[in-house]
Amino acid sequence: MVYRVVAWTVALAAAAVTVAVVRDEPANSLAGDSLLALTAEVAAGLLLVAAGLTARSPSGFRALLAACGVAWLIGEWNSPGAGAAFSAALVLYAAWPPLLAHAVLRHGERSLSRPAIALLAVAYADSVLVLGAGSAIFYDPVAQGCLDCPTNRLLVTAHPQAVHDLGRAGLLVAAAWSAAFVALVFARLARATSARRRVELPVLLPAAAAIALFGARALHGSERGFVSNDPTDHALLSAQVAALVLVAAGVAWARVRARRMRGRLARLVVDLGQSSPPGGLPDQLASAFGDPSLELLYARDDDPRWVDGDGRPAGLPHDPDRQVTRLRAGGRELAAVVHRPGLLEEPAMAAELADAARLALEHERLGAIRRAQLESLRASRGRVVATADAERRSLERDLHDGAQQRLATLAIAIRLARRQLASGYPRLDAELGAAEEGLRDALGELRELAHGLIPAVLAHEGLGPAVEALADRSPRLVVGELPGERFAAPVESAAYFVVAESLRRAGDGDVSVSARHQDGRLLLALAAADGIGGPITDLEDRVGAVGGTLTASAHDVRAEMPCGS
Amino acid sequence: MRVVIADDEALLRDGLARLLEDAGFEVVGRCGDADALLRMVDARRPEVAVVDIRMPPNNTDDGLLAAQEIRRRHAQIGVLVLSHHLEAHYAMRLLEDVPERAGYLLKERVSDIAVLADALRRIGDGECVVDPTIVSRLVARKRARGPLEELTEREREVLALIAEGLSNTAIGERMYLSPKTIEAHISQIFMKLDLRPGTDQHRRVLAVLAYLRAS
Repeated sequence: MVYRVVAWTVALAAAAVTVAVVRDEPANSLAGDSLLALTAEVAAGLLLVAAGLTARSPSGFRALLAACGVAWLIGEWNSPGAGAAFSAALVLYAAWPPLLAHAVLRHGERSLSRPAIALLAVAYADSVLVLGAGSAIFYDPVAQGCLDCPTNRLLVTAHPQAVHDLGRAGLLVAAAWSAAFVALVFARLARATSARRRVELPVLLPAAAAIALFGARALHGSERGFVSNDPTDHALLSAQVAALVLVAAGVAWARVRARRMRGRLARLVVDLGQSSPPGGLPDQLASAFGDPSLELLYARDDDPRWVDGDGRPAGLPHDPDRQVTRLRAGGRELAAVVHRPGLLEEPAMAAELADAARLALEHERLGAIRRAQLESLRASRGRVVATADAERRSLERDLHDGAQQRLATLAIAIRLARRQLASGYPRLDAELGAAEEGLRDALGELRELAHGLIPAVLAHEGLGPAVEALADRSPRLVVGELPGERFAAPVESAAYFVVAESLRRAGDGDVSVSARHQDGRLLLALAAADGIGGPITDLEDRVGAVGGTLTASAHDVRAEMPCGS
Repeated sequence: MRVVIADDEALLRDGLARLLEDAGFEVVGRCGDADALLRMVDARRPEVAVVDIRMPPNNTDDGLLAAQEIRRRHAQIGVLVLSHHLEAHYAMRLLEDVPERAGYLLKERVSDIAVLADALRRIGDGECVVDPTIVSRLVARKRARGPLEELTEREREVLALIAEGLSNTAIGERMYLSPKTIEAHISQIFMKLDLRPGTDQHRRVLAVLAYLRAS
């Protein structure tokens, strides 16, 4: 508060001095004797001060912009009417361009890039040391024809040629760094994301124009060694005033945007207080902040990974076009808002949002965590089933490739032995024949055993052929319509398991089965004429493991499970 | 008759070769995987290839795929697929592609050299062969009431033999009936089931199998 009062006092005093100096010697001033030009000039300085002091940006930016406004007013003081301020003005008359450049480069950025630092160093040195103090120590106003000018208290030795040379060199350097600054601004705008550009453009563009105009004036005055007030200077000066007013306006606009955001936040608090449908928080935030791409991720207590609203694990994006703001409340992270850059620029805003939406956030977060836990439970059940299936398949393969092949080989060996047997051993031949017969029966039994573990046809050909094969073996299974397409292996196994087990537990009567694929779900229906007995928990588990549901009555079993597209 | 044998179990392969040689077949090649089989058939041109359904490289249905490939490449070379799988589905897959000169037998039958030799000869003659166990299971299947219920016991027997791939003459011999009687039965069956009585015997087998599986 005190800081603002002091700043305003200094600014208003500087404005008063400027008005006095110009009115006293209009011919020697930049504004000339036009009251309008003077008003505009002073207004531009005061607007910069006002914009600087009220901006919602880092304090460095605020002080620099206010200082720039005052320095702009000082630009008029190296004139006969300035009195005691004359000497100070000789040093500071060209200080406003580096201050402006410095301020706008800090706008929205916490630190300066290396090229920016180098550029500002050159700019400050040129303005204050070369054009300012350096020239002042050799400048004797009276000797150089300004008979009305106050005494230059900085004069060491009068040397008009040195003043001319320093002025000329300083102005050429000023023109050069102005051009470099404009290039720097455009490079920064070109690199920025579109959202960032929207925020920076209103401030950077008029500032670049003002500095470019300063560079033009420097180039224009470089031949004579000082900036003056010829008609070209007047024209450039008017444009410069307009550009500075636009800089102030741009800063004010950023403030308006921030204020609008706060208004949204306030409305959001009201909305959340009234009602919040489950899962609706991201939508409410998105509409409150006008960012439809806004997403919410929640922190888990037991797991460092983030989850989305459905409880699915989700990573924070590493994308220059997406910005992440973490919301903390009660000393821990609750959620992360993923939004377009520049939406929640100030840390204070994120804190306010976390406070405002805390209850709703906690509620949604717990919901998301519960869904994540359910999902991991289901996944682990699925893995248990998949492991069991894999073991059954490997057993089936072992039976097939091992025992079944061996027995078939053995049957051939016996047959070969029988062929070599002379016809004189009818009893031995009969016994070998019986052994061969026994082997054939054993092969048949093994085949059924292997099929009962998990039929190879299920993995090779799918659910339809596997159920058909089941019907080939169990004549009382009546097969209705079956889907022809393939599904994921766990879904096919679960459906087959339900059919095979229901058939096993059904009474002696017929069992009919049909299945169809509808809207991404596999619908399975079984009806047993004599009822299906026994508990069905294992069937429920099996179907639940692939995210489906099973319902059963005395005569019916119905299952439905998600099966992809 | 010249045959090649493909089975990844070496002992079984060799035993089978000896059985077939004893029964008067000429075994011109033996191999243990699908790729070797295709090369061997291309090089030695047997009349029939005896193929195990499950073979390297994938140990799933490589033998069946190789058999289909042989039928596509060589119209005159027959294939007999041996399998531990009772599922009609596999037999259908083999026959659907090119039904003549193809057969599907359960592996436990191979030691019964008479059955094996008969199947090979029929395939050599251009017929097709389906394992009787598979057919009998298909015929025995429970159905939501349909025209199959209207067939007489004898007609069902004839239907099963058609599905096994037997010709009219062979069916007549098997049932001790005259060809004329067999023909009468067959036209009755086809009328009751509403199937078209084509002249092509292989298509007839396929139609009956499809009918048995579909209803």
